[in-house]
Amino acid sequence: MSTRLFELMLWAAGKTVLLSAISIAIGLAIGLLVCAAKLSPKKLLSIPATVYVSLFRGVPLLVQLLLIYNLLPALGILVPSEVAAIAGLALCTAAYQAENLRGGFNSVPRGLIEAADMVGMSPWQQLRRIRAPIAFRLTLPALVNEMILILKASSLISVVGVIELTRMAQNLSASTFRPLLFYSVAGGIYLAICWLVAGGGSLAERLMRTGSSR
Amino acid sequence: MTRPAVRIRDVHKSFGSTEVLKGIELSVPKGSTTCLLGPSGSGKSTLLRCIAFLEETSSGIIEIDGDPLGFAEAGEGRRTRLSASDIRRVRAKIGMVFQQFNLWPHMTALGNVTEALVTVQGMKRSAANEIGNRQLARVGLSDRGHHYPSELSGGQQQRVAIARALALSPDILLFDEPTASLDPELTGEVLNVMRELAETGMTLVIVTHEIGFAASVGQKIAFLDHGKLLLDGPPAEIFGTPRHPRLEQFLETYLDRGAATLV
Amino acid sequence: MSLDFSIVWQQFPQILSAFWNTIWIWIVATILAILLGFVVAALRRYGPLWLNLLLRLYVEVIRGTPFLIQLFLLYFGGPFIGLSLEPIPAGLLGMTVYGSAYFSEIFRAGFAAIPPGHIEAAECVGLSRGQIVRRILVPEMTMLVLPQIVNMAIILMKETAILSIITVPELTLVVGAIGSQQYAFVEAMTMLALFYWALVELSGWLGGLAEKKLSKFRFAH
Repeated sequence: MSTRLFELMLWAAGKTVLLSAISIAIGLAIGLLVCAAKLSPKKLLSIPATVYVSLFRGVPLLVQLLLIYNLLPALGILVPSEVAAIAGLALCTAAYQAENLRGGFNSVPRGLIEAADMVGMSPWQQLRRIRAPIAFRLTLPALVNEMILILKASSLISVVGVIELTRMAQNLSASTFRPLLFYSVAGGIYLAICWLVAGGGSLAERLMRTGSSR
Repeated sequence: MTRPAVRIRDVHKSFGSTEVLKGIELSVPKGSTTCLLGPSGSGKSTLLRCIAFLEETSSGIIEIDGDPLGFAEAGEGRRTRLSASDIRRVRAKIGMVFQQFNLWPHMTALGNVTEALVTVQGMKRSAANEIGNRQLARVGLSDRGHHYPSELSGGQQQRVAIARALALSPDILLFDEPTASLDPELTGEVLNVMRELAETGMTLVIVTHEIGFAASVGQKIAFLDHGKLLLDGPPAEIFGTPRHPRLEQFLETYLDRGAATLV
Repeated sequence: MSLDFSIVWQQFPQILSAFWNTIWIWIVATILAILLGFVVAALRRYGPLWLNLLLRLYVEVIRGTPFLIQLFLLYFGGPFIGLSLEPIPAGLLGMTVYGSAYFSEIFRAGFAAIPPGHIEAAECVGLSRGQIVRRILVPEMTMLVLPQIVNMAIILMKETAILSIITVPELTLVVGAIGSQQYAFVEAMTMLALFYWALVELSGWLGGLAEKKLSKFRFAH
């Protein structure tokens, strides 16, 4: 493989990382809202949130992507395919992240909240100072896991015409007739990115566990 | 005669259909140490948690220094729920030390002690740290302020938890089995801090299985059994012969855990 | 946009056969993946070190790369090394390999979670090695791993949609094609999405039922 082609693959990998990162970030924001709605005692909030989570976790991502990609123009919304892809990935990961966050909030030990109660913190102060920071630490491994899942799942946005790592490998194998080479290189790059993210995740966890005092 | 620090009048508490407190009457004199004893499931921890308003009583009234906690009498045996701000005001007089320490894991020892001073009372960081360091010194941990809970032993964590409660200068300090989660060799350091606190004349209410400690430090012993207050009086009277048969049975169970020292 | 779902129903026989393909490919691939995953986990635990390392690489590579890339390698790259497969066998093989890596990790965690004391206790009361496997290891393992097995099987059900990209005639491919022909792609995909949703919810419910049936005991803490 010539350097030129390898550079193309790396550029595409960069795009995969970028699109995944944007989707994860937007998904985290939506996921927080969905999680808050699902934990709410108001049925008007919790039921739609429950349906959202069940729907977006119950439908294959590929089908979601195809639907969003075709639904937007049908509704008269014309956006670049990258935007449709990010929307699809973000809406899907939001459902998973909402569940992860809910798990995190529910696993904050009851006693830690009681201790906050005893020193007179208001519910909002408890959320801001105790529950949210602890829930975030508890959710971190799941968040890293979700990042890896989305990095891999982003290969599916190749079918809606976004040129990212998988699509680039597809194009280059078609034009050079060397699918083994290009799909292996693409696989290797995905693997390297996933290992990097996993490694960064466990480093962050270790730092947090000791409290980063040293 | 001065008002008692805590006055409990006909308090009942049920979880679902099981009644765990069946009409408790108890008063805790100011500046005294009261120890709540009783077998597992006797309701002593629930009673303490009701005094902290971590559990709501099903009926009856609890007064803290004359002020009703959570519920006020409304005549004819009924009661009304007080406003959240009233509850917060009365509760501010109470500090609590938990069996599981419940230190916030993402904050240092000093951070745990000063958190409420800054967040709740709006104190400046520097002033809060000064108080925090003083309280940590009081429990013998002035050199551990920047350690996280995970870096401290159980005994040290519990002493930080005591400092956290003391920092808000409560009138009454509640202890819920403070040494029950500790390795035996670590209970001493916590009990010593508690003994010193008792000597300063602070009002302490302690649920404990350390009968030797209760007998030597407590000025008042309350023995609960099956949700009822069976005995209530000074240790000499309670532990002196002849003993109540239920207490005798209870003491036998705990003989190997320090009660031997008092007999 | 006018949603006209009736068009889609006119193609019912075609959809039915696609549905059948989705279901059988899913079930067969899941069962094969569970078996292969168990073998991988067992070899990693009880086999020699070099085999453990080799299989670990296998698991890490499969889990670290997208399923789609694996399918492309197999389907488009395969012929270059003499492995020319039709879409369905390629999909079946790809999904089995893909699933086996995840299942093997579930079993590995299951092996590790069985308290060694339980085996020691069984040895002490005189159970033979075979009896220990049959009477202690397998029942405890089933309880430990069942929820994750069900979960992974449901994930695989959703992954069958990806097989459409290598032209396996399953639901997503067929319904998508009908939608395109009839200029009713959005309608077709909406129905498809709702259908998958129902299928996933149903499988989850059945899985929960199976767990309850099988959980005659719990791990005491």
